[in-house]
Amino acid sequence: MSKGVLLFAFNIEKVNYYEMAVCCAKRINHFLNLPVTIVTDNESLPVNSTYQFDNVIIADSDSSNRKQKDIWKNKGRYRAYELTPYDETLLLDTDYLVNSDQLNKLFELYDDFMCAHKISFLMSPHDEKEYISNYSFDTLWATVIIFRKSIRAQQIFECLKMVQLNYSHYAKIYQFSEAMFRNDYALTIALRIVNGQTFDKKDYMPWRLVHLGKETIAYRINDTDMNTEYMLMTTDKKEKSTYTIIKDTDFHCMSKGNFMELVDE
Amino acid sequence: MNTKKLIKDAKARFNHNSSKNYLRDKYKSKLIFAYGGGLWTSSPELISMLSNYPREALVLIDNHDNPLLVGREKLLENAINVYESVMQEYLLEYTELQNKR
Repeated sequence: MSKGVLLFAFNIEKVNYYEMAVCCAKRINHFLNLPVTIVTDNESLPVNSTYQFDNVIIADSDSSNRKQKDIWKNKGRYRAYELTPYDETLLLDTDYLVNSDQLNKLFELYDDFMCAHKISFLMSPHDEKEYISNYSFDTLWATVIIFRKSIRAQQIFECLKMVQLNYSHYAKIYQFSEAMFRNDYALTIALRIVNGQTFDKKDYMPWRLVHLGKETIAYRINDTDMNTEYMLMTTDKKEKSTYTIIKDTDFHCMSKGNFMELVDE
Repeated sequence: MNTKKLIKDAKARFNHNSSKNYLRDKYKSKLIFAYGGGLWTSSPELISMLSNYPREALVLIDNHDNPLLVGREKLLENAINVYESVMQEYLLEYTELQNKR
């Protein structure tokens, strides 16, 4: 059974996702010892790159989504199932900072599909869960997904495609804004459909997905290549700053600028 | 990055609660292990229950709320091993963090 990681990276004007994927892949190789395949488009592919991915898959990108007036090419994640060259695939967002081998444990813990459910924000423990809308359920997170080639996983990704193609319809049913396509919402809806409008705990990662909130800035503690120790600083409404130190902890870095500062060699 | 200078310039205080929450979450996740087709969290309650149960085979509810027939000794051994290594690591990092601030 082959195992590997799949990353989607389609550059937009303000963010070089390919470059982020390279940084992410190096850490995956180092901490998880897994091969990494990238799905990208011709425009994002650099002429010269010193990093060698296990596979480079060229796919058409979809520019129809917008995030704060900018193009955001996040659609097409449902193609992960057909594109992955691995029997068991870990699908990660490129802004997920791997600092430990914790994700390897998921290969022992899942059946055929698992994604992130509960979350926590570093330095903001009281941040609330995100709900699809006031009238529905809490959202799942597409930041970390693991699946194996199986009928059920295939159904989930096919359903994800259906939700993406009919996003406006589902937005009306679940009463959320359709202005911006989100993989997290599409995944939440798809998984519920496949599970017969119920949920199965087995589909959820048994630990919290850790986010670095936008109000928190992380600084590297030392300048080694594979640094895993960070100082986090946040400033509250009364302009009081507090800090803490973390190490060997994977986290989702929502600020792309901060991500690149943390991984720049 | 000169973190000491940064802290001084920002007049930042060490956030005890954030540190405690972060460490608790981090090590709670490490206490999870797979055994006998189920998912378990090693805890004093699980260890105590298994230590005192009078028979070798028993049915327990795992983290996914599924009842599973398990071998007491083997599950206990796994639970103790995970608990000991994770809690030692937890204490070490907690102490280290207290000294670092």
